[in-house]
Amino acid sequence: MTRVTNVVRPEFDPELKAGLAIVGGMFPPTITPDLIDFMRVSYASAPLDDLLAERGIGRVDLEVPGHEGTALAVSVLRPAGATSGRPGVLYAHSGGLMFGDRFSGIDLVLDWVDRLGVVMVTVEYRLAPEFPDPYPREDMYAALEWTASHCEDLGIRSDRLLVAGASAGGGLAAGLALAARDRGGPRLCGQVLDYPMLDDRGTTASTGQFDGIGVWDRVSNETGWGALLGAQRGGDQVSPYAAPSRADDLSGLPPAFIDVGAAEIFRDEAIDYADAIWRAGGNAELHVWAGAFHACDIFAPHTAVGRSMIQARDTWVEKILGD
Amino acid sequence: MQELLGRIARLDPSASLGLRVIACFDELVVGNVNTRGLLAAAASLAGCSAGFRQEHPRRVLRVSPRGSVVDGDPPELDAEFMAPASDGLVVWLEREGEALPNDAITLERLALAVRIRHGRGRRDHDNRRHLGLLTDLDVAAEERIAAAVALGLSATGRYRVAAAPLFAVWVRHPDGPEDVIPTRHGPIHAIVLPESYDAFEASPCGVGMVSSVDELHHSFRTAMVALRLCAPPDDGLVCADVYGGLIDMLADTPEDAHQPDVARMDDVAKHPWGLTTVAAILATQSVREAARRAGVHHSTLSTRVDVISAALGFDPLDGFGRARLGLAYLSHRLRRSKVLDLPAPPFGT
Repeated sequence: MTRVTNVVRPEFDPELKAGLAIVGGMFPPTITPDLIDFMRVSYASAPLDDLLAERGIGRVDLEVPGHEGTALAVSVLRPAGATSGRPGVLYAHSGGLMFGDRFSGIDLVLDWVDRLGVVMVTVEYRLAPEFPDPYPREDMYAALEWTASHCEDLGIRSDRLLVAGASAGGGLAAGLALAARDRGGPRLCGQVLDYPMLDDRGTTASTGQFDGIGVWDRVSNETGWGALLGAQRGGDQVSPYAAPSRADDLSGLPPAFIDVGAAEIFRDEAIDYADAIWRAGGNAELHVWAGAFHACDIFAPHTAVGRSMIQARDTWVEKILGD
Repeated sequence: MQELLGRIARLDPSASLGLRVIACFDELVVGNVNTRGLLAAAASLAGCSAGFRQEHPRRVLRVSPRGSVVDGDPPELDAEFMAPASDGLVVWLEREGEALPNDAITLERLALAVRIRHGRGRRDHDNRRHLGLLTDLDVAAEERIAAAVALGLSATGRYRVAAAPLFAVWVRHPDGPEDVIPTRHGPIHAIVLPESYDAFEASPCGVGMVSSVDELHHSFRTAMVALRLCAPPDDGLVCADVYGGLIDMLADTPEDAHQPDVARMDDVAKHPWGLTTVAAILATQSVREAARRAGVHHSTLSTRVDVISAALGFDPLDGFGRARLGLAYLSHRLRRSKVLDLPAPPFGT
């Protein structure tokens, strides 16, 4: 990697910079293919059972059919005492399509379970490069169909099912909404796209601004898309369900909540996606947070920026899903 | 962030967590973060609520590890979890049970940061500590000497500064005054060593040139250059002495300075064999020796020297050509140094 000089870019928020001083070197800004194994270890989520018990959240692990019928692990997280008719959320985790597990970043959405009484289905979709496109997205789609067809067993209201995801998971959630529309699939009441990874082409201005700096830089993004798409990355054969920025038609989608940092590579593709939804007459809420780098709310939820992001998102989700 | 500190300690037991806490509060102070933000950082680091009380006008603020304000009066706390920030200002950690390893340093830095935020600290260089002053050329000489004395250095002694990123791995840690210093490359862990120091092992780490106390700013700059010339894992610790006057020059040359020799070295580096061949030439006396070192036939090396001469526009083996080659090679590596960008994976795998 060449250190790019003379690139102007928005500064990180001071509270977030202070957080980076703590983490220094644990999460490299630049993830190359030879770092995938390292990231799989350092990004693995910590054991969750104590936290769930403390919050009175029940967890049931199930196997459901994934793409081509292969069994996938999912966890169903449910508030204590919930019986039937709850809102449902299908969750796609973060990790650049290459690492992470179904509990990565889950802290932030557990609030929906215990505060809004949501039944959450979080999916162990298969990861690239071992399982390239279409496995991750079609695993998620199979899990969506399974969830929609088991609403009654799960205690979920079939008219109140939302898809959500962060980073790579945000891209998958956006792809789910497109595929469900086109295939006449389950009806969704909303899509939460947190700093979503939408565009494999890597040509936006914000992508060029964050090269070798912050969390998840230009090269990391190439690594992720390369793992998913191989030689197709940036070419003309990429499915919009894998890279939703490729979609020509963004009409007829469920309401979208999109948030993104001003100081991250995904800024421009997130803004463009919201704008394309509006131009198609759709419903989107877009928040661009000053000084925020990628996924800073997971990393530093105690900061003013982190708290604001979480609060804005939770308010929207409550508006869509609350009883 | 407490969970992150624990995770860092598990991945790298040698990580200097206390220094990371110091660097964190340094950034908060530089960024003018308010009291709630300071308490939120402390609470997040400690994994328990942190609080602050001001007597005039009376104000209490308690903040949880998630950054939310906690209502009500604080619990009774042991004196070890409280620290005066200034007259009529006190901060605390609401720890239940035994203190954790980083509690003392977190509380100390919180107290200092709150003091500065409330305008009770010294003015001017109020938020910087002795080592930061000592290594800054822009600080007046008498102030630097005073900082040196406060650190226990002899005003007539000769020392060097060692520099490392916070994620460096220390096998043996040298003794000497140490601190974190904010730089444009991020927070740097700096240690003052005597002129002749006991061998230690750290990676990546740069050791600066020897200097008198009032020139330690130069030693620090040369240490930064040495650090950025490290190439872990083979070459994790670089002492500036190896390059002497070349490093003195590099330390004071602006990185974006116009240097045609360096631009041409970029062309040499485009050959897969380019940099290893230049390194072999610089490390040896003759084409024959260089060929042996590079593991190629000497006619192959001669051909490469011709290509290098053509790219550079001078003969790298003749007269000042060798010196120009060396300087261009080091400048090229410095501009492309990744030492401060990447950790040393794969620990933990």
